[in-house]
Parts: sequence; structure tokens; C-alpha cells
Amino acid sequence: MMREITYTTAAREALAEEMARDPSIFVVGEGIGVRGGNFNTTQGLYELYGPMRLRDTPIVERGFVGMCTGAAMTGSRPVVDFMFFDFILDSFGELFNQTSKMQYMSSGRLKMPIVLRGCIGIGGSSATHHSGSYYPIFVHIPGFRVVMPTNPYDAKGLFKTALRGDDPVLFLEHKSLLNVKGHVPEEDYSIPFGQAAIVREGTQATVVALGSMVRLVEKASETLANEGISIEIIDPRTLAPLDIDTILQSVHKTGRLLIVDETFAPCGVGSEISSQVMEKGFDDLDAPVMRLNGLHTPTPYSPALEAAVVPNAQTILQSIRDLLAE
Amino acid sequence: MVTEIVMPRLGWTMEEGVLVEWLKNDGDTVKVGDLIFTVESDKALNEVEAFENGILHIPPDAPPPGTTIPVGGLLAYLVQPGEALPSQKSTSLASPKMAEQPSAVATSAFQSASKSNGLPAISPRARRIAHELGIEWTALTGSGRSGRIVERDVRAALQSQPSAPISTPEPQLVEISPVARRAAEELGVDLASLSAKMSGKRITREDVERAAEFRAPVSTSADEKRIPVSRIRSVIAERMSASAHTTAPVTLTTEVDATELVKLRKQLKGDSSANTRPVPSYNDLLAKLCAVALEEHPMLNARLDGDEIVMSGAAHIGFAVDTERGLLVPVIRDVGSKSLRQIAAESSVLAENARSGTLKSDVASTFTITNLGMYEIDVFTPIINLPECAILGVGRIQAKQVVIDADAEKVAIRHMMFLSLTFDHRLVDGAPAARFLQRIKQFIEQPYLWLIG
Repeated sequence: MMREITYTTAAREALAEEMARDPSIFVVGEGIGVRGGNFNTTQGLYELYGPMRLRDTPIVERGFVGMCTGAAMTGSRPVVDFMFFDFILDSFGELFNQTSKMQYMSSGRLKMPIVLRGCIGIGGSSATHHSGSYYPIFVHIPGFRVVMPTNPYDAKGLFKTALRGDDPVLFLEHKSLLNVKGHVPEEDYSIPFGQAAIVREGTQATVVALGSMVRLVEKASETLANEGISIEIIDPRTLAPLDIDTILQSVHKTGRLLIVDETFAPCGVGSEISSQVMEKGFDDLDAPVMRLNGLHTPTPYSPALEAAVVPNAQTILQSIRDLLAE
Repeated sequence: MVTEIVMPRLGWTMEEGVLVEWLKNDGDTVKVGDLIFTVESDKALNEVEAFENGILHIPPDAPPPGTTIPVGGLLAYLVQPGEALPSQKSTSLASPKMAEQPSAVATSAFQSASKSNGLPAISPRARRIAHELGIEWTALTGSGRSGRIVERDVRAALQSQPSAPISTPEPQLVEISPVARRAAEELGVDLASLSAKMSGKRITREDVERAAEFRAPVSTSADEKRIPVSRIRSVIAERMSASAHTTAPVTLTTEVDATELVKLRKQLKGDSSANTRPVPSYNDLLAKLCAVALEEHPMLNARLDGDEIVMSGAAHIGFAVDTERGLLVPVIRDVGSKSLRQIAAESSVLAENARSGTLKSDVASTFTITNLGMYEIDVFTPIINLPECAILGVGRIQAKQVVIDADAEKVAIRHMMFLSLTFDHRLVDGAPAARFLQRIKQFIEQPYLWLIG
């Protein structure tokens, strides 16, 4: 019987194993040293690797991202732990103009093995400064790998790939998934980027679900299965690179596509998937591609309002029914 | 003015209402305040009055009494006497109003998914499958929202329609007869775009021929004339585009004080004892001084041959000559070893031969001079005459007031001229090319420097 561990434990295991294997890996962030990380992302690692490799920083994202970009250029493998991913916004200039472009500008002579991790998403009345997702912006920029695991197994396998690669990787952990438990093998494994997971096979409609939406769509699909409606669910797992082929194959089978994404719709991942399917799979479409997104608004603090801005079991069910009625 | 009569919102929560009956008939004159129809909402039966004067016009395809209509759904029109109803209005009854009511359940008998071409709406997938199964879909009734034909409608039609698959299930293959395919090759018709236009029909030879006619109107319109491209023009076209596509041209320009050169030419011209012999032109003088400068800067006289650079031992200088038939470039061999007299004699013969069409092209030039000064051109960007490295564009000589000594605030009238050197950056960098041009400038300004030979 395979053991069950939480998402956070699985990701931390990947980090610990890779730090043991590769002494050039170090972690910087706020409260990631003795404290072990606000979300326990580095718990116990300080005791093993000490202050040189688990380095607490002042609250100055642009500074430590720039520093880690330099470290990555000169052969180290930094992991920047943003705690809340929202604060990556304070380091935009470094990330977009330096981190993402350095390999290109050096004709590949410099590598950029930096992992930028943080918690994303809406939940727990975190309010608008601690509920951001913002991954579409990074998908838009050439150079970044954008990784969004949705279960413990993927968290560990994708984190390993992130830590072993030579590109800047955004490793995004949705708050609502951190304590989710799942089977994770003891032995070493990794999951390549750009391979979507078919979470559930079905025939009548394809639902691409991002991040925390995967679990909600799975529940909806069970309800629909009781009514004899068969839904295929795809978890892209990495948004850059995006495994559009798996989505196209699924749409070829089902003819209908819904993209469920917690964050804002305009210029989002759903827009991109929709465009690509329209361009490459037009003749497979039996209905317009549909999107279900969170509302286009800053996230409210009030629990009742917060719940109202994100897709939920009911709106997901309704969207799938609407799609099937098209 | 045509006024639309729509399903009114009678209370905030009302989304739809039932048109119970018309209280006026089609064609009746209606005044403001007249009751014109009754509506049943979920709360009550209401009589609705007119807000405008006019003649009631109930189109034949209007919703019949008893129909449930979303709020805002179009029911009829009020028109003024003598006013015609815009013809397209009747076809858009109710549907634009529906768009404003996306949450309203579509129950109107009016609504239709028909598109402007009169065909029913069909999803791309349903169209593809209909084509694969050989189902005639234009007469099908769609079960999708707003009446769109979807896959299941086509599959259902398979039961009732005799299936006649059109040979292949591959949708991307063009359906075409072998004869038509051959015709398309001969006539240069793009089958992909033709088949896209024909959406599912087999392409025949007639279709291809019609497409070819449509595409290439060989007959010329009244204000145009077609002339065949001459041999010389096609050679020029080929060489110019070859140059434009293969070289990395950069043009440098500089202004030169040509006063001394003008003086030199005037003296040569004024030498009465030499009046039977040709007087060196500016081009001859420039050829000679370029040859001396090229000796000092041999890379400007070189050519690229694969991965080797070929350095020429002598400067063979070409002159761009305008002829009736087009541009020609006669060449004076080994200009450096010849006297100005020899150059002048040769160049006048060559230019005459070029104009009369008796030019023999037996030698390739290593550098070209093109002079547009006589057309009052100052600066231009010559195109390199392949396989040469560079070409010198010569502008007009013009008397100008120039500053001679800024400190003494001294100006003078001088004969000024612009030079435009285009060079191939694949062979030579900017600085050496600039030094070469600077040397030419110096030679023009101080002719004794090169006249000593």
C-alpha cells in the first residue's frame, strides 16, 4: 500500500532530496529559515542545511529576485519562496527584463536555473493582496515555465523537474490544495513539463480545469455521471509549455470544450486554449468553446463575497449543462 | 419613423410575458393612449397602450397570440402613413432584442438560427460529419441552442436519410476528379482555397476553369497597356534583385569641396593645344582618383566568392550609363595604369557604344561609378553592382556659400558636391569604408595628391 502524504510534504520532499543531491541549490525568502516557511514549505530543512542554504531575506522582492538571477547566471540553483505569490509583482522588472531574457541574450551561454515558488489562489478570506494567481501574465512572456500541480504526486514530480532544469520556473501552489493528501511513491521520479493529465475519461464534453478547479470539476463530473452524462477532464499541469495536443485530441472526441479557471477571464489561459482549439480544431467543434472564470474583480475579504467571485460546484455544473445544451 | 412594439416589462421581476390578443388589427390607425394588445405576466393580465401615433403593422411572421415572448421581444411596428417598412426589419424580429436578454429562456416562435445566406446554422463539427457521412444538412432542423445543427442532428438524420458516403472520411482531403486536378495544375489554381470555397462539393474541371478565369483577368483594362519585358530590362531586374537580396548594403554620404577639381577640369578644357583630343570628363577624373584610392584600400576592390575573398590586382571601373534601352555599365580596364588622356579616349568610345547598342561586355568591373549630378541629384543610395564590393554615387557640383574659417567668421563661395558610397558590409566594415570615402574626398579637394601617379 503506497503511503499518503500532503501536497506540501510532497513538494518539501522533492526540495529536500534535491538539496541533498545538489549542493548548489539554496532557498531564499521571508521566514523560510528557522521558521520553516509560512506554509511549512521548508520545515526542517534549516536544521539540515543551515543559514547558508536557507536564507531569510528582508521584505524586498526586487532585490532578492535580482540577486538570485545573478546567482543562477553564475552557476547556483536558487529557489525563491515568495510565500504569497502576489508579491512576485514587486520583482516584475527583474523577472521580465533579466531573468526571462538572459539565456536568450547570452546566446544560451548563461543558464537560468531559478525556481520561483509561491501560494496562489482565493480562499480563507486572504483578501485582495493575498489571493492573486497572475499566471496568465507569465504564460504570455517568453522564457518562463509555468507549473501548477494539483495533487501531491504531481507536486513532487514536477518540482523535481523544475529543480533539475536550466530555465526559470514558476512553481505555483494553490492554497486550497496544500493539505490535500495523496499517494506518493518513496522512490525517485519526475514528471516532464508539457504533459497534460487526463484526470477522467469521457465522451460528451471536455473540461480543462486549472489548479484548484480540477477537484471541483471532478466532483461535478460524478454528479453528471449519475445522470448518464460523460465528461472528460484534463489537467494541463504546466501552462507553459501547454500540452495543446492532448486537449485537441479530447475535443476531437467530444466536440465540446469548457475551460474552468479560478482567475480572471480576459487574456487568460482559457482565452489562449480557446483560440488554439479554434485555430487547430475548428472542424471538431460542435459548440462554441466556453469559459468559466472567477469574476473580474479584486478579491473581497468578506467570506460570503469571496465565495461569490470564484467558480463553485453549482456554477461548474451549470456551465457544463449549458455547454451540452449548445 | 418606424416604431417598434415590444414585449413590455411590467414589474421588475418580469422576464417574459404571453401575448394574449391584439386589440387592434393589422393596418388600423392607432393614437397615443389607444389600447393595442394584452399581455399576461405571472402576476396579472395587462392592457398595453400605444405611446406613438401610427398605423399598426403586424408582420406575417410575428408571434401569434398565445406565445410567450421574452421582455423586449419584438411584436410589431407602428408606421407612418406612406412609410414603407424596411424590408430586412421583418426578418430580424425579436432576435436583436433577445441578445439583450441572455438569461431569458428562448421560447419565441420567431427565433430562427438562419443565417444571411438562408442556410441553417451548423457547427463546424456537424458540417464535417455531415460531409463524411454524405448527409444533406441544409434541410435539417437543429437541436442546438438557437436552432444550430449539431453533431447529434446529423447522426439522427443518418437514420432517415439514405447514407451516401463521399468516398473518403478524411475531411482535409480535397474532393476532386483527376481531370480537374490536372486542369488545376495546368492553370495554377490553388485547390485548397477553391475547395474551402466549395465547402464539401466535389470539384469539377468546370469549377477549376471558372476559378482560373476569375483569378487571372489576362485582358487589360482600358487605361492599362501591356508590353513584354525586354532582354536588357530582365537582366537589370535579375541583377538588381540579386544584389538587393544577397548584399548587406550600407550607404555613406559626405559633402566634398570640388573647387580644385572644377579648376583642374577647366584648365584641361581650356588647353587649346590639345583640342583634337578628348578632354577628361569629371567621371574620368573620378575614375582615375578612385583607382588610386582603391589601390590603397584593396578590400573595396575585392569580391566575395563562396567562403573566399578575391582581391583584384587592378581596378576595372564601370560607369553606369543611361541608354534608351536601360542601364548599361561599360568598363574601363585597369584604370590605375592608364593616363587621364587614355581614360578619356576610352570612356567616350565606350559611352557611345553603350548608347548605340554596340557595347561588348568582355570584362567584369571591380568598382562602379554612377553619376546623377546632371539631373540635380545630390544624395542617393546606389545598388551594388554584383559581384563588386562597392559603388560610388556622384552628386551634382553646385556653387555654395560655405564656412571656410569659423573662428575668423570667414565664408566663401565654393563648388560643393555630395558623394554616396554604398558598400557591402559582408566584405568591409563601416570604418574602413568611411576611410576610403574620406580618401576620395581628400583627392577631390587636393588633386595633386593623386595626379603624381
